[in-house]
Amino acid sequence: MKSRILMALLACVMSTVALAHHSFAMFDAEKQLRLTGKVTAFTWQNPHVYIQLEGKDPNDPKAKVRTWTIECANPGILNRAGWKFNMIKKDDLITVIVGPLRTGEPGALLKQVKLPDGRIFGNGGPAGPPNISIEDGKPLPAGAKP
Amino acid sequence: MNRHAGWSLVLMALLAAQACAPKKAEAPALAYDPKDFGGTWDRYPQPTENSGQDPSVVPRPEPIPAPPLKPEFKAPWDAEQKKIAAANAAGEPIATGYTHCIPDGMPAMMMAMFPMEVLQTPKQVTVIQEAYNQVRRIYLNDTLPAVEDAEPGFWGHSTGKWEGNDFVVETIGIKDNVRFRNAPHSAAMRIHERMRVIDADHFENDVTVEDPEYLTGPWSWKWVYQRRPNYKMYEYVCEDNREFADPVTGKARLRIDHK
Repeated sequence: MKSRILMALLACVMSTVALAHHSFAMFDAEKQLRLTGKVTAFTWQNPHVYIQLEGKDPNDPKAKVRTWTIECANPGILNRAGWKFNMIKKDDLITVIVGPLRTGEPGALLKQVKLPDGRIFGNGGPAGPPNISIEDGKPLPAGAKP
Repeated sequence: MNRHAGWSLVLMALLAAQACAPKKAEAPALAYDPKDFGGTWDRYPQPTENSGQDPSVVPRPEPIPAPPLKPEFKAPWDAEQKKIAAANAAGEPIATGYTHCIPDGMPAMMMAMFPMEVLQTPKQVTVIQEAYNQVRRIYLNDTLPAVEDAEPGFWGHSTGKWEGNDFVVETIGIKDNVRFRNAPHSAAMRIHERMRVIDADHFENDVTVEDPEYLTGPWSWKWVYQRRPNYKMYEYVCEDNREFADPVTGKARLRIDHK
């Protein structure tokens, strides 16, 4: 019962978010992916920051490297979440948790990023939290704080 | 009883009467200026961004009601809302003005999607919304043009005046395609706002939209803002959105760069 109430509250909050800005429904928030790889571009601009990543799922031996276009929040939200415009650089090796496009194209919405120095950042509130661990890709317990 | 003792008793009685008499209520000195909206503000409560807000400090405003559209406009509005919800549920959201880098305009910019800065100068109050670098100028004690002479725009024409500590603003001249909650409106739409500082860190804005052509009555809600001290606003040029509207379906898509 408690979890139902929580889900209803969460749905309410999420719908408010959708109204507040724009819908992230083109990205799958459930089937999240963990990707590691090399940054080919980091574009700090509005309305969204983008990471280009040559990456793949490190736990999947059959996975092929693809060039992913990863959408982040905007510079204002990210600054307020502790990011800095130059904290990711071309050729950095990073790990990300993303919600992929439902179309299967190599595009995604960032949930979390781990930098070469080990620091971990979220993508601001509206993008939603990760549901798998950035350390090993295993599911996070429901309600776990990332 | 000697004379001294008698006078002492009279004096004591007088002092006691004075001490017990109801005192004139003195307004407690405010720790803030009730006419100062200046500074940077977040919407309250914040839906997601963690800015340290405690939502128990000030009551949350009620959810914004649906626009009271006349029946001939409500049916298509309901249908559009259903279409939008179904598209979201299917994972194929319909592109919006944001997809095309179009700013909110009025009254949506006052929801304070991102931080909002208010500048008070002798003849105008200026509101800056970080999202899309939106700027709104409210001229004090100005005379609004007649509706038919008001050049339509995103933020329209606003005049403000003080009624006690309430800052009362009236706005006309909003472009037809600038819509809040997808509600259609006419050139005769008037947006009334009554802003009030409620404590050192919060102010509220009672908004009422009137439009005799489209609405059956006033459409009212409240927005509340919380001070975000020492915040420096970021610039926002909507430079290159890789989300785009599919020219065939109108759905939002993401441009993939393959390098």
